[in-house]
Amino acid sequence: MENARRTQAVLTARRAGLVGCTGCGKVHAAGDTVCRRCGASLQSRDAKSLQRVWAWLAAGMVAYIPANIYPMLLTTNFGKTQENTIVGGAIELFLHGSWGVALIVFAASVLIPIGKFIAIGYLALSARSKVVIRGHGRQHLYEVVEFIGRWSMIDVFVVAILSALVRFDFAATVNPGIAAVSFALSVAFTMISAQNFDPRTLWDAYEEDDT
Amino acid sequence: MTDPRPAELDISPPRPSFWRNLSFVWLVPVLALAISLGLAWQNFANRGVLVEITFLSAPGVTAGETTIRYRDVTIGRVEQVTFTPDLTKVLIRARIDKEVATFLDKDAQFWIVSPKVSTRGISGLSTVLSGVYIEGAWDQEPGVQAYRFDGADGPPLVQPGRDGKRITLITDDGSLISEGAPVFFHGVEVGRLEKPRLTVTTDSIVVDAFIEAPHDRRLNSATRFWDTSGFEVSLSGAGLSVNFDSMASLLAGGVEFDSVYEGGEPVSPGHVFQVYPDQASARKSLIARSSADAVQIAAEFGESVSGLEPGADVRYGGLKVGEVVAIAAQVEEDETGPNVRLMANLAIEPDRLGLPAGAGKAETLDFFEAAVDEGLRARLAATSIFSAALIVELVEIPDAAPAVFERAAEPLPILPSEKSNLPDFTATAEGVFERINALPIEELIEQAITMMASIEAVTSSESTRAVPDTVVALLEDTRSLVNDEAMRALPGDIRATVAELRAVVSELKEGGAMKNLASALERADKITSDIATASAEFPALVEDLRAVAKKANSLEAEELVAAATRVLDSADKVIGSEAARDLPPVLNGALDEIRTTLAELREGGAVENANATMASARDAADAVAKATESLPDLSARLEKLVTQSEALIAAYGERSDFNGETLAALREVRSAARAVSQLARAIERNPNSLLIGR
Repeated sequence: MENARRTQAVLTARRAGLVGCTGCGKVHAAGDTVCRRCGASLQSRDAKSLQRVWAWLAAGMVAYIPANIYPMLLTTNFGKTQENTIVGGAIELFLHGSWGVALIVFAASVLIPIGKFIAIGYLALSARSKVVIRGHGRQHLYEVVEFIGRWSMIDVFVVAILSALVRFDFAATVNPGIAAVSFALSVAFTMISAQNFDPRTLWDAYEEDDT
Repeated sequence: MTDPRPAELDISPPRPSFWRNLSFVWLVPVLALAISLGLAWQNFANRGVLVEITFLSAPGVTAGETTIRYRDVTIGRVEQVTFTPDLTKVLIRARIDKEVATFLDKDAQFWIVSPKVSTRGISGLSTVLSGVYIEGAWDQEPGVQAYRFDGADGPPLVQPGRDGKRITLITDDGSLISEGAPVFFHGVEVGRLEKPRLTVTTDSIVVDAFIEAPHDRRLNSATRFWDTSGFEVSLSGAGLSVNFDSMASLLAGGVEFDSVYEGGEPVSPGHVFQVYPDQASARKSLIARSSADAVQIAAEFGESVSGLEPGADVRYGGLKVGEVVAIAAQVEEDETGPNVRLMANLAIEPDRLGLPAGAGKAETLDFFEAAVDEGLRARLAATSIFSAALIVELVEIPDAAPAVFERAAEPLPILPSEKSNLPDFTATAEGVFERINALPIEELIEQAITMMASIEAVTSSESTRAVPDTVVALLEDTRSLVNDEAMRALPGDIRATVAELRAVVSELKEGGAMKNLASALERADKITSDIATASAEFPALVEDLRAVAKKANSLEAEELVAAATRVLDSADKVIGSEAARDLPPVLNGALDEIRTTLAELREGGAVENANATMASARDAADAVAKATESLPDLSARLEKLVTQSEALIAAYGERSDFNGETLAALREVRSAARAVSQLARAIERNPNSLLIGR
């Protein structure tokens, strides 16, 4: 009844008795186990995908905590050392009037990672169930998450570049703090998490609909 | 083959167990969590100890930035800067590294390091750029950990845990001692002074000092401290010397110490030392060390002890054997009533006196008893010609008046003393002043005033003032008489008259008048011889004068003054006597008469008459012959005058008679003048009477 409005039934590869290679995209018959073109193993559904997603996501979230607690930048200016956490730095920039830069930093360092956590968590949770967002929407969400993931590294790049460039000994020195490493790890983990997600599972729920 | 689906797929195998299905990937988050938790725990475990430090003010201290340092190494960080609940102080909460925190006991000190310029140099310059930090200092012994500290104003002078000895110094003048001033030993800085503070009960200033090891071993009971602040200028026989120890002590003050004798007892920390104003007085304080051993005796001086002060040396053969402890007046009852004796109490050190070590009071007193028998006496002496300070000398005077050492005297045995006879400038000067003080200056002045009053009375009298006028008039008269034409002609006439007179004299030789004349001449001769005798006495007079000068030289001013007083008495009596006051009128009268005589002579044309008379040379002889009749009378008068003159000369020595005689002589002169006047009148009335003898 609910699905009556659907204009088009979803035919998945599995139902069609096919399996696609995730490496090169070649479509094989369901029974094949090895890609005949690139040699990658073929699986219609990655049964352990969700486990990995959750594991990496958890790692990313764990890493995100020290990234926010510990200082990101250690700025030494005429013997005075100043420590800035991610949020602290953004707030400081905002207070200094550079609200544009502050917004970018805040978005890249706080909004995007947290958004990613939520998005991946949502996708992983809802993979096998029918939820409000339809299969297409969730597919778009997944694509966005995968695309935007690397941009979260903007903060890490800033720290890396500053640390490399600002080396004036006593006058001014910038050193990365523990948070920089943690943040980089967190971003990396969430990227791996997103990559491990098997978007094919998003459609399994609709498969049953049609039976 | 129409159904591509394999049916066997629908047969579901038993589900693999949850654990078998578990991916290894889960190790990643577990590891991440473990690492995170591990870091967090480590962080928490290594988190510093929170301590609270209070400061009166905390310039430049910023939460999260200001560091806590120990030996210039960061060991902590300020976390919070707030106030104590009553707002009296700034409360700083800081975390100190755990390893270090165990050493933080109640002795730990914290202070804020900021740039500072002082006499000791510039410090904390690095904080100009880096901002202030809080420096801590504590010892290397872990103690009962403390969490609350009172911040200090500045670095402690002594880093806790450094070896050394802390002592206390007492001084009267704190103006030249400031916090951080150096303590020297032979010019080497071995310690520092802390903040001087006033004691509550007395006016003394107490300052703690810390002497660093190993120099603290120099401290013992023989140690004396003295002030080396500023510079010292001393003038002595060796010349002028200017001393100062260092620029730091010149500006911030300082003290120096040294052992003033060998073999002092070691002192415990906290020992209290007195700071003496200079090295000399510090060394002089030597006696204080063995005041228990010193034997006290007293000496009574029969002269002024002004200049003798407690602390003055007692010397025996030039060597210091003790010092004056006190100068006390002692009231003693004797047959004339209470008698005050000035006693100087002397503390004598037996071992300095050359007595064997360990000699006690009895041995010392024995020594004095024997020595006094042989002539040992106490005597005052000057320390130097420039100083009025006196010392007590123990000298052996072989021919001293016999005296005994009053061993049994109470409260102290009394050592006999000798009057100081050396050219003691002070005593001499004192004596001079005392004698001058004793001079009857007031009486002398009174006498002088009386004399002046008498002289004034004489000179201010009308008659005295009239004397000059009279004299002038007399001179006028005389001049006019001399200028007279007739008078000029007189010599010629006189020459002729003399020739006549020669004849008269030859006649006179036969007359009896010659006898009188001869006797008169004899008397005159006698007078002359008297005068000669008087002049013979002149050398004696010179002798007398010399004796007087001698007396003056020998400063017998009393007698001199007494003599002067007597002279003035006599002078006063002379001038004050009625007769002296009568003198001017009499003199005046005499002069008046002489004047009138002369006036009469002139007016009466006496000269013309005389001229005329002389002109009649022939008659002159007759007149003279007549006049010779009155010569014996004249001779008698002359004789009387001579007698009086004689008496006058004889009475010259007795001043009291002199005046009367002079007066009498003057009266005689007056009467003589009167006689001349009468003669003149007679001649005037009857010029010829002289010639004709009527």
